[in-house]
Amino acid sequence: MITIQNLKKSFRTEEVETLALNNVNMKIEVGEFVAIMGPSGCGKSTLLNIIGMLDNPTDGSYNFAGNEVGGLKESQRTQLRKGNLGFVFQSFNLIDELTVYENVELPLIYMKMNKGERKEKVMTVLERMKIAHRAKHFPQQLSGGQQQRVAISRAVVTKPKLILADEPTGNLDSKNGIEVMKLLTELNQEGTTIVMVTHSDRDSHYAHRVINLFDGQVVTESQNRAVGAMI
Amino acid sequence: MFKNYIKIAWRSLKRQPFFTFLNTFGLAIGMAGGLLISLYIYDELSYDKMFADVDRIHRINVDIKFGGDARKFAVSPAPMADALKSDFSEVELVTRFRTRGSALVKKLDAQANVKEEQTTYVDPTFFEMFGVKLLAGDPKTALKDPNMLVLTKTAAEKHFGIDNAVGQILLLNNDESYTVTGVIEDLPQNSFLRDYTVFESMEGYSDADVVNWGSNNYNTFIKLIPSTNVEDIQKPLQGFLGKYVIPGVQKFMPGVTEEQFKATGNYLVYSTIPLTDIHLNSNLVAEMSTNNDIQTIYILSFIAIFLIVLASVNFMNLSTAQSLKRAKEVGVRKTLGSNKKDLVRQFLVESGLISLLSLVLALLMAMIALPFFNTLAAKDISIPFLNPFFWLILLGSVLLLGLFAGSYPAFFMSRFMPVKVLKGGGQSSVGGGGIRNALVVFQFAISVFLIISTLVVYQQLKYIQGKDLGFSKDQVLIVNDVYTAGSKVTSFKEQVKQLGFVKNATLSSYFPTTSNRSDTTFSPEEGLSDQENAVSMQTWGVDYDYTSTMDFEFVAGRDFDRNFGNDSTAIIVNETAVRVMRSTPKEAIGLRYSPDFNSENPSYFTIIGVVKDFHFDSLREEIDALSLHLSNRSYAMAIKIEAGYFENAISSIEGIWNTIVPGEPFNYYFMEDSFNDTYQSERRLGNIFIIFTILSLLIACLGLFGLAAFNAEKRVKEIGVRKVLGASVSQISMKLTLDFLKLVAIAILISLPLGWYVMNKWLEDFSYRINIPWWVFVLAAFLAVLISVLTVSYQSIKAAIVNPVKSLRSE
Repeated sequence: MITIQNLKKSFRTEEVETLALNNVNMKIEVGEFVAIMGPSGCGKSTLLNIIGMLDNPTDGSYNFAGNEVGGLKESQRTQLRKGNLGFVFQSFNLIDELTVYENVELPLIYMKMNKGERKEKVMTVLERMKIAHRAKHFPQQLSGGQQQRVAISRAVVTKPKLILADEPTGNLDSKNGIEVMKLLTELNQEGTTIVMVTHSDRDSHYAHRVINLFDGQVVTESQNRAVGAMI
Repeated sequence: MFKNYIKIAWRSLKRQPFFTFLNTFGLAIGMAGGLLISLYIYDELSYDKMFADVDRIHRINVDIKFGGDARKFAVSPAPMADALKSDFSEVELVTRFRTRGSALVKKLDAQANVKEEQTTYVDPTFFEMFGVKLLAGDPKTALKDPNMLVLTKTAAEKHFGIDNAVGQILLLNNDESYTVTGVIEDLPQNSFLRDYTVFESMEGYSDADVVNWGSNNYNTFIKLIPSTNVEDIQKPLQGFLGKYVIPGVQKFMPGVTEEQFKATGNYLVYSTIPLTDIHLNSNLVAEMSTNNDIQTIYILSFIAIFLIVLASVNFMNLSTAQSLKRAKEVGVRKTLGSNKKDLVRQFLVESGLISLLSLVLALLMAMIALPFFNTLAAKDISIPFLNPFFWLILLGSVLLLGLFAGSYPAFFMSRFMPVKVLKGGGQSSVGGGGIRNALVVFQFAISVFLIISTLVVYQQLKYIQGKDLGFSKDQVLIVNDVYTAGSKVTSFKEQVKQLGFVKNATLSSYFPTTSNRSDTTFSPEEGLSDQENAVSMQTWGVDYDYTSTMDFEFVAGRDFDRNFGNDSTAIIVNETAVRVMRSTPKEAIGLRYSPDFNSENPSYFTIIGVVKDFHFDSLREEIDALSLHLSNRSYAMAIKIEAGYFENAISSIEGIWNTIVPGEPFNYYFMEDSFNDTYQSERRLGNIFIIFTILSLLIACLGLFGLAAFNAEKRVKEIGVRKVLGASVSQISMKLTLDFLKLVAIAILISLPLGWYVMNKWLEDFSYRINIPWWVFVLAAFLAVLISVLTVSYQSIKAAIVNPVKSLRSE
């Protein structure tokens, strides 16, 4: 699904050029659950942003489901992203002014789906995430765990092929964190590919594979044992 | 501590150059506008205040309805002066002016005449009344005898090359010889005497001693004895009607009583007006100088206040918007022990500093704009930089403004709770959005209102300009002072008519645009002494070519004709006159009217023609009754010229003039210009509206621009999330823009009915006026939307193209 070759990403500030990613190579197959780990500032999030097509690599190639993404214009990236990708953030990034229902509905609106269809999909996903009873509430009225469930609902409502999660449990207590990880595992078992950036050893064990990043380079890759044992 | 405030204020202003610029610039525009208008108003309010004991000086006005004609006069009868002095112990002094307009003046041995635009006969009490000092001559004797006159310094220098011209001889209009007995300082520009340069002794004007209560020609001023009340003479002044006026009328209408006079709906009311009120509150027949209207002052004050309020609103909006960036600072300060009072003080120092910066900028702007403003307002205002009071008031009001504009942001920001803002959730804890929105609505409502006003004023002006006046003012050149040619004037006219590009020419003293006016009361042959049938009409002396040169349209009868021997007793009247006579144009032909009530054998004028009504007053007024009769006493000549020949025509006509009467000045003007002058105040109002509409829009746009920037910043996370979820740049910028358009839409809804109401009130001043067309409102709304979209879209697009990676990075 994802093939990355010799990927480089550098940032320029006024004086220094910082190399955030340096010759990264990786392949992620359909249906995989991959965790990316590493210390702060190693380039995890940068890599995730590039995989999520929010950002362009400086050099190298990134192929997503047969499309070369590097060098695409922003509007083309937006097009490719629509419906294919779902995002889950550490800080949830829900829109405070919109209700739970409206937050989840948003990506469907941008896909120009009609209202009836939208409602069906939103309600289905909210029920599945056991948050349907809060549909009319605003994010501020929910607990952190609930907010992240809304965020995951929003990420999966379009039935994306790939979910990108940036420290999805970072702002949650362990109980809520485990619940979120279970949800992601379920989604993965249903066939969704998941790439997750994390600091947490516990979380990384849910993944099939862990890629360790250090100073912008892949240092180790390790296969996990059967995931079922962890649960 | 205070020094610390200033240091911090200065740094935080420097750190946010964009907002500091918007704030300073917006505030400076408001201040500069407010400053210029204040100077204008100050000047207008200062009129006539320089005269001695001005609080005791009043003028007599009279309000008359007689012969179907109602008018208010700034002049009263000649014997009024003596009556006032003998009847009222409160009256210390009386001074009459009998204005005589322009006069051609030359030194005894000089070749050519020079025109003095405003001359007047005046009573010898002039100097004592107004405290006018003589540079040369004795105030006790200067105007004592006939054929004495007093000049202003400029006039003296003009005619004699020196300012001490006392003892010199001046010829007025070639045949009146005067001795210069005094020279006075030029009269102040902000006085009712500003245009007068020659003051002739009233002693030489015989009409001044005739006891005739029937004609009003004298601007009569009284000075009251200190600590007496003008109210005390106002009521007894009403008694003058019965005591003096009616007995005078009885001479030619025997048996008429005050009751009868009033029973027929007529009235004659004398009143007084303080000299200092004249300039802004008096616009009567025969004012001595052009006065302004207090309405203009109100409108300007309104605009000045709104400019400053708009600018302050901007300041509040931008400052509270900026507070997002300051929230963390406030949180840290509070955590470190600063209390609310300190913070309020700090923010106030900041706004004070911005106000001062704006003041510097505003003064610069005002200096640059002043020449244009002076042209616009027909003034000669300067900024009184050397006056310490000016600075005191200026600095005082600027600090007050800083306090006013800064108070809301200061209290708003000092309220932030440190726990909230420091948690990084600062964004959602910054409120005040409702107030900011209301302020934007307020600003745009004012702007849209001003757009509507401007459009309406201009539509009305266009209507006036294009209205069929009933005569043709285009291509007409008027040569003034042709009487100086004496009997050679007819040969001048004939020679001018020979010129190929001259279509027609006519001699008269009366023209439909601003010129002399004279009215007489006529009575019909039947019921000659019955005042109910009296008709008050304009009486204009004209020649045979008048109606054809002016392009009047006849609705009945015929024009004056040389082939009719007796046309010297013929009159042509207008439709209104016929209506006042309760007749019809057809029936009116042949009716005989007489201007003599009392004569044994009255002279009669026969109506031979009726012309369609034409506008000879401003379109603010209804058309009055009017009559034309043949006369060979003419002050001016109107010449109708083929289109495109003006340049040639003027030089050819001047050439003819110079061969016929060498040495006499050739003065001319275009009828069209004279017509346009009548609407100068409307035009001025229109220009003022345009300028201040633009300024207020500019201020509102600066505010909106800043607010859009703030809004984009505040919603940066939301925009990021939306983009991640698939929103396109155009979708996001559209949404951001639409949010502001909602506010503009509300503003439009508020201002449309307001503009409709206020401008209809303004139009009520015109007898002939437009109905406000619907598209004025559509255009105003459209402009407001267009301008706000242009303003906001820059920020919206800028916000929409930001890479969400940046906005969503969790810190």
